[in-house]
Amino acid sequence: MRLACVYVPQLALQAALRRTPEARDEPAGLLETEPWKGSVPPAMSSARRSRATLDALETAGAGKKPRVTQLEARARRAGVRPGMTAAQARAVSASIRLYTATAADREAGAAALADVGYAFAPRVDSGDDGERVFFDCADLGQLYPYGETAIAQAVQAHAARLGLGARVAIASSKGIARVATRAHELAVVPAGAAGAREFLAPLPVELLTDDATLRAAFRRWGTRTAGAIAALPVDAVALRLGPRGADVARLACGKDDEPFVPRLAPDALEEAVDLDYPVYEIEPLTFVLRGLVDRALARLAGRSLACAGMTLRLSLDPRGLDVRTVPLAAPTRDAKTLLELVRLDLARRPPDAAVVGARIIVEPARVRATQLDMLRPAGPAPDRLATTLARLAALVGPENVGAPATVDSWREQAVAVTPYVPPPAPPAGALAATAAAPAMRLTVRRKRPPEEIEVIMGRDGPTALRGSETTARVLVTAGPYRLSGEWWQPPATAATTSADPNNDAPGGWAHEYWDVHASDGAVYRLHRDARDGRFYLDGYYD
Amino acid sequence: MSRAAAIAHIPELAARLVSLERLEESRGRRTTGVAALDGLLAGGWPRAALSEITGRRSTGRTAIVLATLARAIAAGEATALVDASGGGGGSLDARAAAAAGLALPALLWIRCAPAQALKAADLVVGAGGFGVVALDLCDSGDARRRVADAAWVRLRHGARNQGTTVLVATSTRTLGTAAAAAIELGDGVPTFLTDGPPLFAGVKSRAARVRGGSRDESAREEAPCVSLAFTCRS
Repeated sequence: MRLACVYVPQLALQAALRRTPEARDEPAGLLETEPWKGSVPPAMSSARRSRATLDALETAGAGKKPRVTQLEARARRAGVRPGMTAAQARAVSASIRLYTATAADREAGAAALADVGYAFAPRVDSGDDGERVFFDCADLGQLYPYGETAIAQAVQAHAARLGLGARVAIASSKGIARVATRAHELAVVPAGAAGAREFLAPLPVELLTDDATLRAAFRRWGTRTAGAIAALPVDAVALRLGPRGADVARLACGKDDEPFVPRLAPDALEEAVDLDYPVYEIEPLTFVLRGLVDRALARLAGRSLACAGMTLRLSLDPRGLDVRTVPLAAPTRDAKTLLELVRLDLARRPPDAAVVGARIIVEPARVRATQLDMLRPAGPAPDRLATTLARLAALVGPENVGAPATVDSWREQAVAVTPYVPPPAPPAGALAATAAAPAMRLTVRRKRPPEEIEVIMGRDGPTALRGSETTARVLVTAGPYRLSGEWWQPPATAATTSADPNNDAPGGWAHEYWDVHASDGAVYRLHRDARDGRFYLDGYYD
Repeated sequence: MSRAAAIAHIPELAARLVSLERLEESRGRRTTGVAALDGLLAGGWPRAALSEITGRRSTGRTAIVLATLARAIAAGEATALVDASGGGGGSLDARAAAAAGLALPALLWIRCAPAQALKAADLVVGAGGFGVVALDLCDSGDARRRVADAAWVRLRHGARNQGTTVLVATSTRTLGTAAAAAIELGDGVPTFLTDGPPLFAGVKSRAARVRGGSRDESAREEAPCVSLAFTCRS
């Protein structure tokens, strides 16, 4: 087995920088009041911090004043050091940008790191330090025939697309890959214990273990490199330093038995942000959500997935949550469409209070794949169709886009909208069968809801009608045709089960219909409500 | 494959070859679903272009649009109906459309306000892969004033690029030179059965070709009008 290890140093700082990609080229640092001990994500709770950082916080009296804990390389070159206060850091480097990483940032950063792995493998081991992920890359050779270095470069490039500067190493075991990421930006450790031993031999002891006691012991023995430790008998090391020392000695020999525990990707993908100040209006909120949507879609794109559904969870000021599901007609990766849907939903039902945090939960789905046929018409491409349906839904509302369907109701105007699915390709030879022309049949062009009109009644029915678009004498009348329904249902049920938004009075309906040829040349369909005697224009034949 | 097995497949292959011929014949034109109209338009609506069908109420515009959509769906093509009538709730009568032979699940139905109709049609055409996109502006007031000419030109450009037949149904001529073919329906005469109490039976109307048709000069000399009869009962 060949394992790839993706290591994102200073993940908290990089997670904060994902929020502001435009500041990626400037010196940056992370301000923390105390080492983060948040409850989520669990993997982050045991995050190991560099010795220098911990020392700096201890000496600075952590918890009293925010101190710089993590630094980007440019800031370090400018002279900023961990442990400085914000004022001290700015005095050293005026252009430094200092960030605070919220729990939402850290969580999203860790999830994005895991997605780097899921872009290349179905199962990923998230490690125990929250800054690394491991995945099996033995099968990637067919995709990357130029060798494992190409795989490592591809992984690194994908991490960069997600806003993470990563170190990547490929080795035969987790421990060796972990050490390799500490030593190199990009590393491929030869397969087999002998090759791994040779690779590790020149590395300093500090890279093999985080345990300060073990480091001190090895230093005391005069062993400065992994090669020197590998020359020691493992049994003797175990006798003096215990099982942890033996593990280090075995690792130096290129032997590692740390188990690889891969897990499937989570069902949903989340991105979140905590705001520094409450947002009261929709446009600024949409601006904030754009970053979340962009980052979520970038993660989905890396896994060749699309967004099939989105839940928006807004934290309200001072407390409370606003949870809403944004309906999607079909999976899409179009950020503009998703944002438009969100904006429309927010405009239709604004939050009850100002928003201080936002989280989007995206449901991933595969875009339908189709096989084209030479002899049959090619339908719309699935991904483009999905995007188009989503855009149409944003334009006219999701309830107005789909396939029409008849409704099990006696109401003439009842109609439903169901999800649209392109027609399946007809079987071979079906084209000839389409030669039979369908009947030229008139349909009623419905007015929804029916328009109330004035009608003059004669002895045999309507003699004249007047509506918003029509004023005409009636030349010929056919009817009345009496229809009634839903009287058998209780009032509440009748009101809610009707497919027609122009519902009648609860407790059923009774109509008298006429087909009338009017003097303007049209043949109208109209009805009189038997309960109140009012006339309504249903439409006209066409 | 043995010789006998190969011979056994000949009928199936022949059927496919016939289909190819038919495809070749109909290239450039798409059947309207109404034989008389196909004759009037020298084969049907032009593909990859805008076509217009105009007429007053109860002259059969909707019936022709649905017949065209039904034929396209039967041929396995993706179709869409942008319905800007019916007060925003759509004017399509689903039961009657199904009775007229339209496979409802295969039709993309977009209900919208008249102001959104062009944008919606543009999106559908731009998606590509749609054989027929019908734009129903019959009850949208004066669409000529509402829609800028540039919008029709853009839609025509999209239809040409995607190979889509865009069929616009209006009450008065709207597309002008943007339409490759235009049919005007008139003289609608309703017929009633009078054996007993009057019963609406259908409409007879005349279709006149006002734009498009065959490029053949001899075909141009034919009378550019045909009579159509629509029924409302099975």
